[in-house]
Amino acid sequence: MSNDRAQSKLFPTTIWLVLVALTIATFSLGEAGLSGKGVMLTLLAITMIKSQLVANYFMALRKTKFLWRAIMFGYFIIVGGLIAMAYLMGLK
Amino acid sequence: MNPNLVNIHLVNSNSTHHKEDLPGDFAIWIFIFAEMLAFGVLFVAYAFTRANNVELFNASQLTLSRTSGAINTLVLITSSYFVVQGVAAIKRGLNKQCAHWLTGAFLLGGVFVGIKIVEFHAKFAADITMSTNNFYMFYLSLTFFHFMHVLMGMIILACIIVKARRSAYSAQDYVGVETGASFWHMVDFLWIILFPLVYIIR
Amino acid sequence: MKYKSQAVAKLYFIAAIGLFLGQILFGLIMGLQYVVGDFLFPAIPFNVARMVHTNLLIVWLLFGFMGASYYLIPEESETELFSPKLAIITFWVFLAAGAITVLGYLLVPYASLAKWTGNDLLNTMGREFLEQPLPTKVGIVLVALSWLFNIVMTVLKGRKTAISLVLSLGMLGLAVFFLFSFYNPVNLVKDKFYWWWVVHLWVEGVWELILGAMLAFVLIKVTGVDREVVEKWLYVIITMTLVTGIIGTGHHYFWIGAPAYWQWWGSVFSALEPIPFLMMTIFAFNMVNKRRREHPNKAAVLWALGTSVMAFLGAGLWGFLHTLAPINYYTHGTQLTAAHGHLAFFGAYALVVLTMISYAMPVLRGRAANPERAQIMEMWSFWLMTISMFFIALFLTGAGVVQVWLQRLSPTPMSFMAVQDQISIFYWAREAAGVVFLIGLLLYIGSFFVKGDSHAFE
Repeated sequence: MSNDRAQSKLFPTTIWLVLVALTIATFSLGEAGLSGKGVMLTLLAITMIKSQLVANYFMALRKTKFLWRAIMFGYFIIVGGLIAMAYLMGLK
Repeated sequence: MNPNLVNIHLVNSNSTHHKEDLPGDFAIWIFIFAEMLAFGVLFVAYAFTRANNVELFNASQLTLSRTSGAINTLVLITSSYFVVQGVAAIKRGLNKQCAHWLTGAFLLGGVFVGIKIVEFHAKFAADITMSTNNFYMFYLSLTFFHFMHVLMGMIILACIIVKARRSAYSAQDYVGVETGASFWHMVDFLWIILFPLVYIIR
Repeated sequence: MKYKSQAVAKLYFIAAIGLFLGQILFGLIMGLQYVVGDFLFPAIPFNVARMVHTNLLIVWLLFGFMGASYYLIPEESETELFSPKLAIITFWVFLAAGAITVLGYLLVPYASLAKWTGNDLLNTMGREFLEQPLPTKVGIVLVALSWLFNIVMTVLKGRKTAISLVLSLGMLGLAVFFLFSFYNPVNLVKDKFYWWWVVHLWVEGVWELILGAMLAFVLIKVTGVDREVVEKWLYVIITMTLVTGIIGTGHHYFWIGAPAYWQWWGSVFSALEPIPFLMMTIFAFNMVNKRRREHPNKAAVLWALGTSVMAFLGAGLWGFLHTLAPINYYTHGTQLTAAHGHLAFFGAYALVVLTMISYAMPVLRGRAANPERAQIMEMWSFWLMTISMFFIALFLTGAGVVQVWLQRLSPTPMSFMAVQDQISIFYWAREAAGVVFLIGLLLYIGSFFVKGDSHAFE
């Protein structure tokens, strides 16, 4: 427990910085006007990491039953997977 | 109030490891999951509608301000971070600090709303409505629906701030703070998906 | 009976059951007219039978809601009703107005009725469910306001609970949204909007608040579970109901000339409408499983659980079946709608009123629960009515699916009346199920007259 407390001071800040960095990465990819399968998958991967960081550490689901984390992860897999599928359909 | 009171026993709680319950009142999680479902359906609907109108969607997407979208992402992420700090503070029984952090989050929510209003205004000034085309229909629907959630989240934060100022919480009783925090993180979570989907991916 | 003034509920309940019987008889008449077109013609034409069937439904449910609130509000507020006398006057006014209106439908041609009742002054008649002549509409508003006034005044002078708050909110909405029935624009698109704001916002909005409050009340009484738990559930359920129900109004805007984005908004939000109903089912079963006492009124528990399940099936599932725009494109206005309408009204509203009557009537008659034999008869009536109504919905669903195919999907579509001939077998089956329903209802009424050793209060 004491270990948890020691890390809890800096830990959220680290997560926050990672989220900021990933947002800037997403924005830069957009500004560069890149498109295509690889870029789309990269952007979705970044989004997946960001969403799960928020779910596990900000929402603090990491400490709860596996089921709740599974719901948040499964949600992204289903929604993100369908988005990817739709994108690939659009490529023809 | 004990959050277990309304717990639907979805899972066997006899596991050997001690796992915490969902943070906050269980009732808020029913909403969170329902909201995520609604947004999820809209996200997927956007993607599949786009697949049939790729050029239209790509062209219309260029008219959005990616910069304001990105700034708003940073704003929400940061406000979520403040909320995390606020919860950490109240777990140590520090009502005042908790109120400070949440006030910061609330103000950032205000910044988000301000930027969003400027964005909406620009679109309406250009005579763009939900009937203009499918892209704008989704863009306006999704961002407006999300916008309403930001406002709702700000109202919830405001109520918690007022209570924390009155030192109504303690290191033992902070379910109310966690309940509002969970809702606010959901608002952030959804925007994290919405931003790349609608503003960036092409 | 804890408070003397609760006794007024008895009048309302008796009237509700009487009108319910009338509704079912007219249902059977028009059910037969589906297959034997000139049955009882010209005495009772189809359109009149239909009008009486649907209007009686609304009126008996309103009587049920009013009776229920006059019973439960004094108990929730822990005080006598503000004015029992006003409640009794309101009752007779409403009953008389209802009777005169139905007689008007039956005895006078609709056009003459419209002329005599001042429809030229303010044109409100001629729309489905809102056929009532102007004086009746005004009467409904006055009755609703008097009811609301009486209840709110009672709540204000006594204890305020979540149940009475939700119930009052539902009643306020009921009164306010009915006002849209007074505006009948010439423009058909606009007309449809106002029409749905009464019809939809009643049954998929504010009535659900009344339903939730009544169900929560009975569950607290029969299970002894903490009020705090029940109230939290009630708040979650009604919030979901209002959010999905109000935006879900969009599922009526698909094909009436409203902007196309409603196909998305309406589809997505109305698709979420079953969630609060599902929660209500989970809630009811959860409460009964966690019960702290064995209430002698077993029948009331059965009705309450039945309400939660049938409301989910009828309103939730059968609504979802055809709420998505691409599906609704083919199904709107077919017998699928009728299937949904029957199961939803019965499952959600008829059953909740019967639940309330089942719980309250023995108390009003001076006992905790009816004699064992009466309860068994009541439970039989529950199963007969519920199962036969479920079959009515199934047969109409079958009719609807065939109708969609023959009339709209098939490469060689048939005309409406030709299709009606093709699906007559479903209508016969529905009529048979309707007869079983009537037997169930008669059994229900009979259960009130069974004598025996009744359960005294603890």
